[in-house]
Amino acid sequence: MSGLRFDRLRILVVDDNQHMRKLVVTILQAFGCTQIIEAIDGEHAWSVLNDANPDVILLDWQMAGMTGLEFVKKVRTDPASPNPFMPIIMLTGHTHINHVRMARDAGANEFLAKPVSVKAVLSRLMAVIEHPRPFVRSKSYFGPCRRRRPMDEYSGPERRANDDVAVLDDLPPRKQQ
Amino acid sequence: MREQNNAELIVPPNTLKAKLGIGTGGIDPEAIKRAEKAMEGLKSEFSDWLAKDIIHLNDAFAAFKNESNSHNASILFRAAHDIKGQATTFEYPLIARVAASLSKLMEGLKSRETTPVALVEAHVEAIHVIHRDKIKDTSDLTALTLVEALEGRVVKALARAGQTF
Repeated sequence: MSGLRFDRLRILVVDDNQHMRKLVVTILQAFGCTQIIEAIDGEHAWSVLNDANPDVILLDWQMAGMTGLEFVKKVRTDPASPNPFMPIIMLTGHTHINHVRMARDAGANEFLAKPVSVKAVLSRLMAVIEHPRPFVRSKSYFGPCRRRRPMDEYSGPERRANDDVAVLDDLPPRKQQ
Repeated sequence: MREQNNAELIVPPNTLKAKLGIGTGGIDPEAIKRAEKAMEGLKSEFSDWLAKDIIHLNDAFAAFKNESNSHNASILFRAAHDIKGQATTFEYPLIARVAASLSKLMEGLKSRETTPVALVEAHVEAIHVIHRDKIKDTSDLTALTLVEALEGRVVKALARAGQTF
């Protein structure tokens, strides 16, 4: 398993669809994860967050009540959040590029589009474990750096210098709507 | 911790890597095989899971048809959105396409009062028929024609409402 002890990883899986939870949990167990906590929606996840003390959260976007986006923002900015730096992988049926931007701007670390594939789940997990992004705090944003590449590899002009909004290096330009 | 004028860059220690041990990097093909085998083991349940999701969609549509308010529209959207995300895994990719078209319609129309109920119903019926007839082949001409017709009508409905997203 890439030498990683996945049995040491605590994962909180949040999805209001029990079938999707079972599917994701089955995949995680096959990777060697044994410490998996399930939450049936955003409110439930928030209520167990302290006790569950997860290392990673796998979170559905579209849920009744608190949505995945709202949950991410709460984890990042609520004074009661146990860990604002918590790695969060957003799991969603949304595939439009604007939705990817929304998840990223809310503070999600990674974006995992449904239908889920085994390889994609493992790839996103490896990304938050092996290559975690630095965090950025500005007037309008707190969360993982929205640049895909490590900061040290960037040799272009420092466009962020006078701007508190991160530059979007990893996405194509916005379409005019 | 570095300061960049208005933005502060914070590099938290990688406690996860320390906790899980030093990896070899890359994706372990054995882990992929194990997980795919585990998913194969769930396959016998997929049709039943999808049937339950479709019942939920039917119930959500019935409530929406009875009262087309924002609350019922949200429930219907989420039911369609769940099927969109899962039906391909459950081996019904054409159902995923129909559900995607329905999600697009429900998400795209701002005013619930103007949502064409007949078009919504056509989507729900199409999902029901594809599942009933166990059409898993994406090249099934009849089903494909139906799916494309629904997608086309959604595009037109959204264009009429001035929505493109």
